[in-house]
Amino acid sequence: MATATIETIGLTRSYGEICALKPIDLQVPEGEWLSVMGHSGSGKSTLMNLVGGLDRPSAGSLKVGGADLQILSEDGLARFRREFVGIIFQQHHLVPYLTAVENVMLAQYFHSVPDEAEARSALERVGLGHRLKNRPGELSGGEQQRVCIARAIINSPKLLLGDEPTGNLDHKSTIMVMELLKELRAEEKFTVIMVTHNQEVASWGDRTIYLDDGVLVREERTGS
Amino acid sequence: MMVAAKLIPQLLCWAGMVLVLARGFSGLRRVVAAAAPAGFAAGMAAACVLFRFLQGDTSFGIIRGAVGGGFLLLWGASVAALYRSSVRGGELSPVERVLRSPAFAGFAAFAAGLPAGAICASRLSASSGASLVSLLLLALSAAALAWAACAAEKRLPSQVTVSRTGSMAAVVSLLIFSSSYILRLDLFGPLTMKVMKFAHDFVHQFMESMLIPDHLFIRDYLWSYIGFLFGKEIGVWGGLFIWFTPVVLIALAIGFEPLPSVAHIRRGAERRKILAAALRQRRIRVVVPALALVVLVAAVYQSRFPSVEYWDPKPLPVAADASGEIFIPRKGEVDLEDGKLHKYLYKKGELEARFFVLMTPGGKLTVDLDACAICKPDGYGQAEGTVICYYCKTLIPLETVGKPGGCNPVPIPFTEKGDGVHIDGLTLINNWGGTVQSTARVKEGGK
Repeated sequence: MATATIETIGLTRSYGEICALKPIDLQVPEGEWLSVMGHSGSGKSTLMNLVGGLDRPSAGSLKVGGADLQILSEDGLARFRREFVGIIFQQHHLVPYLTAVENVMLAQYFHSVPDEAEARSALERVGLGHRLKNRPGELSGGEQQRVCIARAIINSPKLLLGDEPTGNLDHKSTIMVMELLKELRAEEKFTVIMVTHNQEVASWGDRTIYLDDGVLVREERTGS
Repeated sequence: MMVAAKLIPQLLCWAGMVLVLARGFSGLRRVVAAAAPAGFAAGMAAACVLFRFLQGDTSFGIIRGAVGGGFLLLWGASVAALYRSSVRGGELSPVERVLRSPAFAGFAAFAAGLPAGAICASRLSASSGASLVSLLLLALSAAALAWAACAAEKRLPSQVTVSRTGSMAAVVSLLIFSSSYILRLDLFGPLTMKVMKFAHDFVHQFMESMLIPDHLFIRDYLWSYIGFLFGKEIGVWGGLFIWFTPVVLIALAIGFEPLPSVAHIRRGAERRKILAAALRQRRIRVVVPALALVVLVAAVYQSRFPSVEYWDPKPLPVAADASGEIFIPRKGEVDLEDGKLHKYLYKKGELEARFFVLMTPGGKLTVDLDACAICKPDGYGQAEGTVICYYCKTLIPLETVGKPGGCNPVPIPFTEKGDGVHIDGLTLINNWGGTVQSTARVKEGGK
């Protein structure tokens, strides 16, 4: 998997009679920051779950980094998620009884082997060098999200997915998180797909696509 | 059919050996598949020649020696592996280059096949005698199983790797387990005896050389502590230590194998992936020595509690006539010439003596106490051309029954007159009394 180019042709996801994502053709070149906007239920998270290997499409073709996710086995898909994808959620999903550094090491553990020095360095990189031993409950929302970013990038993913990562943050924290992601992307050269409701957050990307009722209705170049 | 069923454990062990060898010598599967059955056939042929031309226990001793030699080699290899694990990197030594060559793979597979074939032939001979047809069928079965094992090995995931020493541990332990089914090829029993004798001699000489006074005040304390060293348990525990150590050393050597150098890799995730793969490989490679340990435990169990059914008839009561002589007819209630152990119980007042009459393979009748001069008088059973002392599990070939010494049954003077044997009752009672009295210490734990 040398590149993170995403290519979908007629990508569809249905849940019974409900079609969450209607046939969609999309291409994301390596290193691009793509923002995905739309109303609730428009299919944004469904698209992100499919691209991140968290879900399987009902029809169509989905290639990420040259790998056809349709035909990957469960083990292959797990390996793809482990080694290729980093995900930042709106709700953080940090383990409450582990410290910040232990939360990052947990991601290392599931990837390969834990390395505390490297986890510390990742947290220092996101500006949390002074919060290493604090548990999530002792951190602000912005700090927790930065722990999530450190956790998402610790395994050097080629693709970083963000599902409303700033949805719970105030304006100042949002700007801080977005600047951090921009810096990291410049250093690590990963592809970003960011699902958001916020037009300002979307404008940090290179391109924005708009979904409505599972259909790609519009796209525009943003550039930041 | 029954004979074939009796060979199932040995043939399964054989298939396991070929599988492990094929994986141990990765990339040389064909060499192993050809050399191993050739070794098996050669081993069978050699065993048949030994049984034909060598009498008594000698042929079994040679096969036992071959398996024991393999165990000694395993000891050496395990120590070398542990030493090697402490040396980081470096180029392959000339010896290691030889060990990785196809020629060595062929040699090792052939060498493993030799004792495996000999053990199977021994089992066949011990069961019902080995006819040419049965030997041919056995050789064909072994070749087919070797082929099947290689085919199964081909289907194993590539991540499943076996270290050279790990495969050696597996092969030797499977050979030992195979041979443990045959009383005269059992290795653990004799090992425990040697350890027991060594401990006994060592403690004795140590006490002699230290001139520890046999004083009334220290005697009881001293003996309560060192009594263990003179008991039967020391042989078992010492034997277990010798038995399991090489496999444990091999597992340790795998655990100590140096990890690949990753300091030059910039990305942490890449570094950790390489380390994780190396650690996973280590864990996988420990599996085979761990299984070898389980097989060795099974061999010990088989040795301690053999699945052999001993011929052990209930002693028949006999009485002496007015002159104090016991008469046992050759063809009476039992046939003394059938080559089986026939036990009798003689009672005189409060005293009694247990003895047996047996016709040796040489055609001579012998009368012996159902006890030896060393052990607690638990008696003897008969199986596979031997009598076995129930107490110390020593096997005595039938050819040597009637000769005094060691753990042999104590021979009793008798006369063959007419159509039976005549034994003096008083001599019998006196011999039994003397023997039981002298071995009573053993009964009380060596004190």
